[in-house]
Amino acid sequence: MIRILVACGNGIATSTVVASKIKGFLVSKGVQAETTQTKLMEVPGKIQDYDLLVTTGEFSGQTKGVPYVKGMPLLTGIGAEQTLNEIYDITQKK
Amino acid sequence: MNYVMNVFNWLIAAGPTVLLPVIITIIGLIFGLNIGRGFKSGLTLGIGFAGIKLILDFMTTNVGPAAKAMVERTGVHLNALDVGWGSIAAITWASPIIALLIFAILLVNIVLLILKRTNTLDVDIWNYHHVAIVGVMVFFVTKNIGLGVGASVVMALITFKLADWSQPMVENFFHIPGVSLPTVSALSSLVIAWPLNWLLDRIPFFRKAKFSIRDAQKYLGFFGDSMIMGLIIGMVIGALAGYNLMQVLQLGVSMAAVLVLIPKMTALFMEGLMPISEAAQKWSQKRFKGRKLFIGLDAAVVVGNQDVITTALIIIPLTIAMALVLPGNSVLPFADLAVVPFRVAMVVALTNGNLLKNIIIGLAVTASLLWCGTTTAPVLTAIAKSVGIKLGTNSLFISSFAATSMIQSFAVYFAFTTNQLILIPILLLVFAVVWYYFDGIKHVNASVNAQTTEA
Repeated sequence: MIRILVACGNGIATSTVVASKIKGFLVSKGVQAETTQTKLMEVPGKIQDYDLLVTTGEFSGQTKGVPYVKGMPLLTGIGAEQTLNEIYDITQKK
Repeated sequence: MNYVMNVFNWLIAAGPTVLLPVIITIIGLIFGLNIGRGFKSGLTLGIGFAGIKLILDFMTTNVGPAAKAMVERTGVHLNALDVGWGSIAAITWASPIIALLIFAILLVNIVLLILKRTNTLDVDIWNYHHVAIVGVMVFFVTKNIGLGVGASVVMALITFKLADWSQPMVENFFHIPGVSLPTVSALSSLVIAWPLNWLLDRIPFFRKAKFSIRDAQKYLGFFGDSMIMGLIIGMVIGALAGYNLMQVLQLGVSMAAVLVLIPKMTALFMEGLMPISEAAQKWSQKRFKGRKLFIGLDAAVVVGNQDVITTALIIIPLTIAMALVLPGNSVLPFADLAVVPFRVAMVVALTNGNLLKNIIIGLAVTASLLWCGTTTAPVLTAIAKSVGIKLGTNSLFISSFAATSMIQSFAVYFAFTTNQLILIPILLLVFAVVWYYFDGIKHVNASVNAQTTEA
């Protein structure tokens, strides 16, 4: 089971969109994944329990070695496929 | 017609948990969702509302008596509890005229796009709640559907134009090209920030200030952690209320629970509305194909910026302090302390990360939130009660840093509920002058418009 932390400004709006797109994509690829949504400000305190961090905007804080993918393309639709593949590749390395 | 009205009234009497699934299914069908998907969306919203209602009841039964005791014991007169924007959004979606408002807002965007008066494509139906609540409140006060819809239309106009005008900041400061942020909770601060920033720039001391705080996140980070903030605020209120240790701890954990649970319930609204937003996005992208447009996104995409977080972490404790000393304030800041980054994000971009100016402008914005929040708390409370949210028997009001606590929304609400014949024209005139300044003199989106004409 891959644990993905999805963070945005309030842990509600854009992270819901991104989390559901990631989940839908990974399910179609047969990958077992669990997403948790949170606020960007709470990432530093939670990150160590996850395998992957996806944020919907700029994030320059510490990820403590956890791989990090920018989720913005999943919102705008531009480059979405590439981002999803990038996430898939990371899940395969675990 | 009478029959339709009877059914509608019956649904309203049944309350939002029944009304929401029905209304959202209908909206979904209009956007071309199949009935199964539309109904599940609607049911998800109904469940979200049930959840919010539970939490609000839990919150007011716990903090209500404590806040009352605190007021009596200490004279700190903060009886308008900040229940957070999520609760307000839930109340907004539960309004009987919400379907009408959503289509009015969408129509404003489409008409502006067709007339080439905006470059912002905003089909994020979810975020319409900030614009819709003003219509809901105006309708509630005036009982006039025309005024209600009119207020939301004016809100929408202002929001899309503010999004256009602030797009260069999103591109240059946050480095997100092709995106604008029609999110009222972030844009509204610009109404205060633009003039105040201009004023501060006349003073060399502020213009050149290189004041910075290192490691703000390290030392102030807990102010951004909802769990910890809820616990601390709950315990402080309990202590001020003269509770014993056991009660203080109970109130602390209860309030922490509220701050963690509200977003989970609010997320259900977002989840339910997603299929509808996606359908609207598909439709509009086909319609405006080939044209260079800014994609309207939630301001959540910029609040992770380090300067924004630093400013917010400084403003959060100052907000609590200000609530205690600001004359005429009765808002008790609580749930919306979590979204202070949204209120300061555009300020930070405007000043280009000048921390001293950010704090000064941020505090001015905070004062406006507290005052406007105090003024409109009774109306908001009455609306909450009308959709079935019990707020206990005590004289507690609810408020937030969203809805008409924000200066843009407050201005529109005020104009549409008091002396409409004089104030609405004044509001529109001021807006027209600002519009002329940005589009006619400064040509803020000139480069994009040029590209569009070429294409």
